[in-house]
Amino acid sequence: MNAIWLVVLPLLGAFLLPLVYRENIKLRIGIGPFVLGLNLIIAVMIWFDVAANGAHTIVMGGFPAPLGIIFYVDQLALLFVIMVILGTLILWLGKEKDYIGYIQEETLLLLIVGGSCGLVLSGDLFNIYVFYEIVAVSSYGLAASRGSYAASVRFLILGAFGSSLLLLGIALIYAVTGTLNLAHLAVLAPQSLQGIVGVTAFVFIIIGLGVKAELFPVNTWVPEVYTTAPARISALLGGIVSKLALLVILRLLITLYESSAAHLLLLTLGVLGVITGELAAMRATHLRQMLAYSSIGQLGLVAIAFSIPGPAGIIAGTALALHHAIVKPALFMLTKAWGKQLSDLAGASKVSLLSSLLFLVFALSLIGIPPLPGFWAKFLLLKGALETNIAAYQMAIAVVLIATVIETTYFMRIVRLMFQEELKKTSTLKAPALQELMPACVFLAILLISVFAIKPMGTHLNTLAISAADKSVYIDQTFDKTLFP
Amino acid sequence: MTVFSGVIFTIGLGVLLIAVMKSLILEQVLTGGIGSIILEQAPTEVGSANIVSSVLLAYRGLDTLGELTVLFVAATAIGLVLGQRSPDTKHDSEAGFILRSAADLLFPFMIMLGAYIILHGHITPGGGFQGGAILAAAFFIPILASPASPLNHKVSSLIEGLAGTAFILIGLFALVGKGYFLAPLFGTGDIGALFSAGSLPLLYLAVGLKVGSELAGLLARLQEV
Repeated sequence: MNAIWLVVLPLLGAFLLPLVYRENIKLRIGIGPFVLGLNLIIAVMIWFDVAANGAHTIVMGGFPAPLGIIFYVDQLALLFVIMVILGTLILWLGKEKDYIGYIQEETLLLLIVGGSCGLVLSGDLFNIYVFYEIVAVSSYGLAASRGSYAASVRFLILGAFGSSLLLLGIALIYAVTGTLNLAHLAVLAPQSLQGIVGVTAFVFIIIGLGVKAELFPVNTWVPEVYTTAPARISALLGGIVSKLALLVILRLLITLYESSAAHLLLLTLGVLGVITGELAAMRATHLRQMLAYSSIGQLGLVAIAFSIPGPAGIIAGTALALHHAIVKPALFMLTKAWGKQLSDLAGASKVSLLSSLLFLVFALSLIGIPPLPGFWAKFLLLKGALETNIAAYQMAIAVVLIATVIETTYFMRIVRLMFQEELKKTSTLKAPALQELMPACVFLAILLISVFAIKPMGTHLNTLAISAADKSVYIDQTFDKTLFP
Repeated sequence: MTVFSGVIFTIGLGVLLIAVMKSLILEQVLTGGIGSIILEQAPTEVGSANIVSSVLLAYRGLDTLGELTVLFVAATAIGLVLGQRSPDTKHDSEAGFILRSAADLLFPFMIMLGAYIILHGHITPGGGFQGGAILAAAFFIPILASPASPLNHKVSSLIEGLAGTAFILIGLFALVGKGYFLAPLFGTGDIGALFSAGSLPLLYLAVGLKVGSELAGLLARLQEV
């Protein structure tokens, strides 16, 4: 199966969706999930193919590597593709009843999935930029879907600034090397990208991609957007889409920037993100706001993991990213009924025991209490950081441990409110509808299954990371060195 | 304080960019670059007299599909934000006689120019994006002249959806026939002839229709608020 279907199918669906809805209103329940389901099947089929035969590339238009655009299909990319499609499909369950603009919202959801698949698979710098734009512009629209225009406009301005820096960075790389293909660049990088121009380009790219990846200096939009957007959208943007930009940064680190300076830059931004995110989450007064800050902290952890050179970093980062992609959307979906002041949650377990228990399990996993998967993800991070024997990473370990303590404090504070306080007489807390809890329950099922599947998943991650960390595999798969010395 | 830090940041970025500019050797022609190879190979491989078109639709066709999608995303997002027009809102008053007649008079010529630029995109400068913008203007000027007769959004979104689908379907035909998504079909033909460069003119037609209907819909929606 050709991996281009993963991108083309959602785009086709999105182009035709408004037309079909207008003609036949009954079809609207099924189309989005049908397209995504089909996409999921294709992704899993390609996964098995790649697992058996190794990574391969897809050439667009029949023009070989440095001339045309290629997709590099390996297990690491496919893992994130499956994460995006499956996550969106599960969140589709939490759809509200019809509201104004539901057609546009579903179209944008399909577009964001198509863009995300392209972003992850693409092996061409400018193509990455185009898909990043699709994802970013869909996010601005989705963030504004229920009237939260002020937050969305500020997000748009920051995002446009980031995108232009990203484009500038790509232009600088093209000016120095004359090529956009990642594999070709990987061959040229040791000579041409080590100077000031190459490093500046990396800084621009990391700031540009950092807007979506919620990296430290450019994440000011996060709390505002996630508190005002619909729960389903916050879950999708914060829990799932934000990791893809980090994956692109990881690819650039592997292929183009092997120097320690680039790794240390990502490490610094990650550490600052963890510190600021967790401290702000501690002071947050709304549940939604708290989750938003906590997602900044969690993505900081992923950034720290990806900055560790070699397979250990990829294993830890992927584990952290996947774990967060299960836990955070579920937590966001729970806030649909309860996204108010934290103090309003007093005695919530008496209103709805099920959702309070769900909250407890997800919070424990996010903090990293064994045997929940969150523990293993953080453990892998600490192990990887220890094994580097570099002082900066040892410092990062201290930060991660302190952040975990802070995380425990603010999550357990809420759990105490929910389970130990009496219900206030004036409380307006309502039990969430079962429909709203469905996505969280599905995520819980995935979480619990993965508790028992830790060992096989670990070995899979290991082989995946070893092949992904090897730059020469990427180059050999992508282009013929004899043609372009 | 915010203004102050903003100024500091801007100055810093400017200084950094000037420093980078100094070390960029712009007059030196890159020997390993892909640009020169494409310049050499494009006429025989793709058969388009306009090299820009062959890069846009053949070598980097997926990027063009992506750009079309970005435009579609923006139009959808604007539709989401502005919502549907309520039927009882008042229109602006009609423009004067001169403007209305001029708009009617201009309409066929602008359609013709737009269509010409789209269809000749593979042999002369121009193409789907430029011609599409002219088509959009042709439909938008009458709306400015007489706001009471708005654009038919049903028709524009129908063209928009079908043109986007057509672009992808041409790509998928190539995938089935030649094994590569968006590979040029039907041979190259004589360079410079109207019917040349294989499937490129068809792709440009889809691009032009999509850009035209999308921009027209977008402008009309902004004007209706």
